[in-house]
Amino acid sequence: MANILIVDDSSTMRKIISRSLRQAGLVVDEIYEAGDGIEGLGVIASGKSIQLILSDINMPNMDGLEFVKAVRANGNTTPIVMITTEGGEEIIAEAISSGASDSIKKPFTPDQLQEKLGGLV
Amino acid sequence: MSLNLDISRSTSFTEEQVAACVINATREVFSTMVMMEVTDDFPLKEPVSRFKCSITGMVGFAGTYSGVISIHCPVTLALMITSNMLGIDCDEVSDDLNDAIGEIANMLGGSVKQVLSKGGLDVKLSIPTVISGEDYTVNSLSDNDCVVVPFTVEGHTLLVGLTLKKED
Repeated sequence: MANILIVDDSSTMRKIISRSLRQAGLVVDEIYEAGDGIEGLGVIASGKSIQLILSDINMPNMDGLEFVKAVRANGNTTPIVMITTEGGEEIIAEAISSGASDSIKKPFTPDQLQEKLGGLV
Repeated sequence: MSLNLDISRSTSFTEEQVAACVINATREVFSTMVMMEVTDDFPLKEPVSRFKCSITGMVGFAGTYSGVISIHCPVTLALMITSNMLGIDCDEVSDDLNDAIGEIANMLGGSVKQVLSKGGLDVKLSIPTVISGEDYTVNSLSDNDCVVVPFTVEGHTLLVGLTLKKED
């Protein structure tokens, strides 16, 4: 069973991702939510056991790229998959070079989540 | 309402092709995230700027292109959309309603941005803005660079508008 942290400024999207993870048949235990990168760092710092992080890119306060860099700067190696409307090659390349493991383009289907995340949880 | 020549030349797209981009993006978002089918009715017969009992979600572009993509729909339809997205019954204007419509605008903006900017770094998307009310108007400063596509969803009409300007 995997604990997953979802970082997205849209509460609607956090709920859709949570539901889609289960629809995709992925084995999920606890789902933690954060509204931006700063909140995401707070959840990680609280010491919760997290096996996968799903993060948006375009967020207020601290965006997804800054968030990934901050997580990696702390030495955390938890897989981070960007789930974002940003599908541009250069932005995704920047996310990967910053430490993200992969990316999923919104809108997505549960099958696409299964394909990308099946090996991570 | 039509797309200005700068936009058409710089993207190598005609107004109809930009409309097709909006139509495809809207269909994809609604079929995958809202679980509703939309039917387009392009072109718009008459310009619309006044909305009653409606909600509008907008996301701005800045960079090589500037502009706004917007979705306008009656609150009745927005409640159905939000209920479908969240899997719960929504029967009043709430933060959930605003967030859902804002997220749809965000996904539409992302799809259009990918057409305008292959790399993605030269065009930035804003955080969504949502307005709603019993009677309000939304005006573009120029009607000449605006494409508006009407859609029918569950017997209601929603509009998706794209205003673009190529920056020097």
